Amino acid sequence: MKVQELMTPKAESIEPGARTKEAAKKMRDLNIGSLPVMEDGKLMGIITDRDICCRVSGTGRDAVGTKVNEVMIKEVATCYEDDDIEIAANLMEGRHVRRLVVLHRDDSVAGILSVDDLARGSHELASEVLEAATRH
Amino acid sequence: MKVQEIMTKKVEYVTPNATLRQAARKMGQLGVGFLPVIENGILIGIITDRDIACHAIGIGRDANWTDVQKVMKKEVITCFDDDDISDAAHLMEDHHIHRLPVLHHDNSLAGILSVDDLARGSHDLAGEVLERTAATH
Repeated sequence: MKVQELMTPKAESIEPGARTKEAAKKMRDLNIGSLPVMEDGKLMGIITDRDICCRVSGTGRDAVGTKVNEVMIKEVATCYEDDDIEIAANLMEGRHVRRLVVLHRDDSVAGILSVDDLARGSHELASEVLEAATRH
Repeated sequence: MKVQEIMTKKVEYVTPNATLRQAARKMGQLGVGFLPVIENGILIGIITDRDIACHAIGIGRDANWTDVQKVMKKEVITCFDDDDISDAAHLMEDHHIHRLPVLHHDNSLAGILSVDDLARGSHDLAGEVLERTAATH
């Protein structure tokens, strides 16, 4: 099975210069936990609700004054839409992450593959990812 | 298999009058995304990293001055330590959640059962819980 059969296509994104408060509001409004950070069509990083919690609030920073590019994760785990889901699952396991940004072959963003999406294709692969992930 | 065989037993918590900044710092240090809120030994709520980001920061609250009790979820779904893991998994499925505080029968906190813990007991049960969760990335 290919990643594109399970991924959530057309991911919403945010700009690196946006305030982290805006990113949090967007995640709230869209009911999602992460946003790819895009500039001029290029993937610059990813920011999660957890990053805003731990790296902004937990360190006493102000969410209005702190920009997305100050706390985003720059080393984004990615896969291609035509990768097999086993390859994507192995990547999540190796990087200890629960989601991958999915790219078209021209490196533009195609969507997001989460471990929840993966579970729709294979309970076994999704569970292996969870076992390799961090606690809670 | 019983919940107590796979749950995480050593559980950190926060008090309701801790600030969101303190809770967030604790989550970061412990590498967890979820803390039970305990007052006088009794579970009165739960708070997640997402609650702090989306339900406080996203609506303009200041983490330095907002108490945990303003943002925590008060309606907590729990299970008992001697419940079967399949019953706990069904609770998670029905309520679209990934973690359950686990209680002793005297209602004191025994631990936390997460879907990650569940995966160690049964790949199939964990997979079903994930599938039923809304598409929250």
